[in-house]
Amino acid sequence: MDLFLQQLLNGLIIGSTYAVVALGFALVFTVLRVINFAHPDIFMTGMFAGLLAGVHISDNFLVVVAAGALGAGAVGLALERAVLRPLRGKDILMTLLGTLGVAIMLQNGMAALMSPDPVAYPQALPQIPLLTGTISLSSLQVVNVTISVLILAGVSYYVRMTRYGRATRAIAERPDLASAFGVDVNRVSQISVVLASAMGGVAAVSVGLLYGSAWAFVGLLYGLKAFTCMLVAGNRYFEGVMVVSLALGVVEAMVTGYFSSSLRDAVAFFVLIVILYFRPNGLFGSYTV
Amino acid sequence: MSALLSISGLHVSYKAVPAVSGVDLDVREGEVRVILGSNGAGKTTIIKAILGLVKPLKGSIRFRDQELTRLPPHRIHQGGISWVPEGRQLWGTLTVLDNLKMGAFSEPDEAAVMERIEAMFERFPRLRERRFQVAGSLSGGEQQMVAIARALVSRPKLILMDEPSLGLAPMVVRDVFALVKEINRMGISILMVEQNARQALKVADWAYLLEVGRMVESGRAAEIAAKESVREIFLGGRA
Repeated sequence: MDLFLQQLLNGLIIGSTYAVVALGFALVFTVLRVINFAHPDIFMTGMFAGLLAGVHISDNFLVVVAAGALGAGAVGLALERAVLRPLRGKDILMTLLGTLGVAIMLQNGMAALMSPDPVAYPQALPQIPLLTGTISLSSLQVVNVTISVLILAGVSYYVRMTRYGRATRAIAERPDLASAFGVDVNRVSQISVVLASAMGGVAAVSVGLLYGSAWAFVGLLYGLKAFTCMLVAGNRYFEGVMVVSLALGVVEAMVTGYFSSSLRDAVAFFVLIVILYFRPNGLFGSYTV
Repeated sequence: MSALLSISGLHVSYKAVPAVSGVDLDVREGEVRVILGSNGAGKTTIIKAILGLVKPLKGSIRFRDQELTRLPPHRIHQGGISWVPEGRQLWGTLTVLDNLKMGAFSEPDEAAVMERIEAMFERFPRLRERRFQVAGSLSGGEQQMVAIARALVSRPKLILMDEPSLGLAPMVVRDVFALVKEINRMGISILMVEQNARQALKVADWAYLLEVGRMVESGRAAEIAAKESVREIFLGGRA
């Protein structure tokens, strides 16, 4: 029972980060109908922006988090202006290749600039054990999951309750109609990409703090799983994407706890593929290209 | 009186296939005008060109002395043109209330928007009952009410109506045409595309006949309705 609770906790913590990354994919896809392959590496860029700010400016927690948001948000803005907007309305393959190119550039650029190996992260917050004994929980885990939950709640609020959030859903369903009713689709696209990037950057900083390191190839770890979560949930309901991401985290943690960590990804992807086989549009439905 | 909307020499093609070839059309302030024509005549294309959703090959579309052909759709809407699209085209996953709010997206003052929506609920009490339902779950007639209310909340000068009676029960069709009259009495001009020529000619001031992308006739609605050729094609040959 202790093992179960421990793994449930661990799973929800890792799953909450998957959820933030997956939501970034979903937000950009529903508004721009583009799979942003650069998204996981924008996440990684945010992690390093936080690291650099922590080393060179201040290791104050808020400074590091803000740097993560700004760094990733700026890359998102550049991606939208330089790649996504010029390629809008062109063949979907061109946009896919464009974002893939940016992903490779970011990964290898960061590896060349910083290091191809994990780099130590500044200690912006102390690592305090909150629970010890049969179930363990640290302050950084709490911070990590709190940040993710705040982001998820914030996005939910934005999309459901605000004027631009409504426009986001309107574009997702019928982009032409939204523009004919006064929505500047370019502007909402830009907001969506920057928002998805900035929240990825913040989540990345909290992951960096939690594990004490940043890595130029960390995007691969989170990107594929988060992308698959979006496919399995379907992109129609963002809350669905969150639930599936949390569930994936828990499944992974359970496999690690009860069987072996080497089986973790195999089982997780097996479950996701089985679901997709029976529900190709995802559990909660999808907008298509 | 000068025209509110003035289209001249409009050419639109999809890929290399011409859909509209040299159309001239005016709508004057306070009028209801109708474009009649069979499927594929290019009626919807004209509407989409006005809205900026398709880019014309050549020709000019002027609205209140502003050239529209180079403006993006959201700017055209902000200039005072709204739309009741073919087949309603509601945001089916959004609630009725959110559909109406989207109709007035250009107005940032939420309180002002709610006031206008409240006025719509006064006129269409059925929509108030259904405001928290997703629009996709409504009946065809109710959906058409939402589509019309959505077009009105932005306080437009001109509403483009694309086949407003299509796929509706005969009772509802009568309501829709009565509503067209009512909207027009509010001082809003209407350009309508219809296949239901008989009803459309009753509410319209002026009518155009479109055949394979060209205007073949234009005149007062009553005169057009009396023409032998029109009666044969659109009114089933009966008086």
